[in-house]
Amino acid sequence: MMDFFDSNVVLVQATFIGLVLALSVQVPLRMGVFSFAGAGSFGIGAYLAGIITIKYETPGIVAVLITMVVTAVIGLLLGLVISRLAGLYLAMATVAFDLIISVLAINGGELTGGPTGLYGVLSDFGTIHLVIVTLVVLALVAASEIGRTGRRVDAVRDDPELAASVGISVRRYRLVAFVVSGALGGAAGAMNILVRSTVTPQDIGFGLIVLALTMIIVGGARSWKGAVLGAVIFTWLPELLTIVGDWQPLIYGIIVALAAIFLPRGIHGLWVDSRRALQRRRREKAAGGAAGVAGDDDDDSGSTVIEKLKESSEMEATP
Amino acid sequence: MTETATTPVQDEQGTPVLEARDVAVHFGGVKAVDGLSMTLRAGKIYGILGPNGSGKSTLLGAMTRLTQLTRGELLFDGEEYHKVPASQVAKKRVARTFQTVRLLPDLTVRDNIQLGADARTTEGTGSPGLLRTMFGQGVSPAVADAIARTNLDGFEDYYPSELSYGTQRRVEIARAIAMNPRLLLLDEPTAGMNQKERAEISKLLQSLRGEGLSQLLVEHDVQMMIDTCDYVFAMNFGHLIAEGTPADVVRDPQVQEAYLGKKWREHA
Repeated sequence: MMDFFDSNVVLVQATFIGLVLALSVQVPLRMGVFSFAGAGSFGIGAYLAGIITIKYETPGIVAVLITMVVTAVIGLLLGLVISRLAGLYLAMATVAFDLIISVLAINGGELTGGPTGLYGVLSDFGTIHLVIVTLVVLALVAASEIGRTGRRVDAVRDDPELAASVGISVRRYRLVAFVVSGALGGAAGAMNILVRSTVTPQDIGFGLIVLALTMIIVGGARSWKGAVLGAVIFTWLPELLTIVGDWQPLIYGIIVALAAIFLPRGIHGLWVDSRRALQRRRREKAAGGAAGVAGDDDDDSGSTVIEKLKESSEMEATP
Repeated sequence: MTETATTPVQDEQGTPVLEARDVAVHFGGVKAVDGLSMTLRAGKIYGILGPNGSGKSTLLGAMTRLTQLTRGELLFDGEEYHKVPASQVAKKRVARTFQTVRLLPDLTVRDNIQLGADARTTEGTGSPGLLRTMFGQGVSPAVADAIARTNLDGFEDYYPSELSYGTQRRVEIARAIAMNPRLLLLDEPTAGMNQKERAEISKLLQSLRGEGLSQLLVEHDVQMMIDTCDYVFAMNFGHLIAEGTPADVVRDPQVQEAYLGKKWREHA
């Protein structure tokens, strides 16, 4: 077991970092907010944690926490500016935010290391810290999927008007989505540089958005379980596909395309749908067909306005 | 359904709960609601009649702040609320159902109804604490009560897509009841229901009236209106064209003309 861990430590670290990054995109999507700002926060987190570690020799866990606070505030400010946008326009605005971060990193001079990036970020932050932070994040995200908060998040995503009618401030939830996304993206970026000791502008580009989206589309966008599945699959799959040599990108692309076509709710969605179908079958078997279920509509309509008015008018017209 | 439970009343009694004053909702050149005033009083069931496109649902949208007013004022308990966000209207204990069923597809019947009960979790004393409020998975007694009152026992674990349209309607009504409202706005609550279910809903609304709940009903089933409502407003082209007891409104020539046309009226 330890041999496996030692020889795959980079992949294990990448899985946990990829999971937090995927969650930074999944949390807003669960609230119906098409924001990819988590990828930009990843970049800010990586550079910020690197800079404060180099300059102030900040302990790793403190660097991660500072980064999360800063990127959460940036997320809030970004949310205040663009949260009124929706759909594709919002997505494009957040992609622009991510690209701006990349441009700033390239042109940041000595502070960011320019096109070559930051090197030699030595920290006490190890794999165990990475695992602990990720598990805490995962527990909090999982908690947000249950109970009152989970129901409200579902309402904000599926029907904002309904959500408002039951007292939910949709705007506040959307702002929270930006804040959480910022904090998670920042955490992922900070942990990435602290365990790898380096970051370059190429590490924080558009590819991060594609990676995070791929993870949650294939894994499942509605639950943390989907993000876990996606992070494991897309961290380890490229490694496994090395056996096909140059065909690797093609095979990878085909797998993603097939998953998007045949698993629109991801692997986790398939599991949820199968479980529901099983429950339904069990209920039907137990009840032997109950009234009030789908297909039981009765066309016994009431008196329409026109019928009633005609009736009433005819009575009046009769001497 | 055949029993007439209402006695004609003069709508001058009772404390005003909601007042609409010169309310207008215009969509560009379309005047969906245009200068309408009405007062809803405590413990009464009001109905709105009107042909399709007369502005009934738009008025309900305006009353719940989901639709912006072009002009006019809305007051709840004498306090203006036409500038507050829609989410604040629910905190005044105004609950509503929609013209087409709106349930969350990934929540069970129980959770859909609990969504309504969640609106009142933070009010009053005996708060269960922040963490339990936010993440607790308990079901509040209001949900069990709403399920029992709408005859949804046995459907708690079903998902909306597994239910008939009429049953989905009842889940929507149960969600609204679970909010413990003071004013209930129901947009065609019995659409898709059979006669027996309609009679049950009518009985339920009357029982809620007995508990002091004010209700405003948009409905096409006139018999349901006659059986259930104390007072009816008739709308056409965004205006009120008649109001009074259900029987009077149904006999009103303007109402008959709005539905059947002038020629039919002359012929009759």
